[in-house]
Amino acid sequence: MDLYQITDQPIDTVEILQGQGEPGAGAQVLFLGTVRNEFEGRASRGLYYDVYPQMAEAQLRKIGEELKREFGVLQVALVHRIGDLPVGAVSVAVCVTGGHRDETFAAARAGIDRVKQTVPIWKKEHWDDGTSAWHDDAGSST
Amino acid sequence: MATMRITVLFFSFAADRMNARERAYELEAPLTVGGFFDQSLAGPLGEPLAAWLFSVNQEWVSPDYLLQEGDEMAVVPPVSGG
Repeated sequence: MDLYQITDQPIDTVEILQGQGEPGAGAQVLFLGTVRNEFEGRASRGLYYDVYPQMAEAQLRKIGEELKREFGVLQVALVHRIGDLPVGAVSVAVCVTGGHRDETFAAARAGIDRVKQTVPIWKKEHWDDGTSAWHDDAGSST
Repeated sequence: MATMRITVLFFSFAADRMNARERAYELEAPLTVGGFFDQSLAGPLGEPLAAWLFSVNQEWVSPDYLLQEGDEMAVVPPVSGG
């Protein structure tokens, strides 16, 4: 089953894995992005993710359809969590089921890259010193 | 000239700079996204057109898109999910 979802709840990876699988499948790749305790050397205590919900889910679906068309994989799940996430939390899951490992790994890799490039989601770093700042905001000082 | 009403959504630091996540505008048609940006948004957003992406009705558009009555436009900083 394909799954394209923006959620403010913890990502349930077991449910994602159990939702996929079919007789023609010989490979399943699960990639998880997690919240790191630093960014470019500066200590962080977590992230806040802002989202344009309707457009983000439409973009996830578009990416999934591209992956199936371009790589010939069978099923795709793309799930992104939003809101405040502590260090270690899973922020994004990409799960791809395919016939063989080569195209399945390639599709999962392309999937996470495209999610980061084209889905309208923005992260704000909560620095360990108590301040916070949006990523890519050149004018930010708070 | 015809008047049109559009809704504009702001996200991430664009929302901080506008002090709003959503605003309604009444504009004189014809007007492109880029023209509207120069006229109403460049000042408060504080960065040039090239610093932003735009969507209309949840599809990415270029600045030469001609705005229509009822459009939902979004001003989008560079995305940074993952």
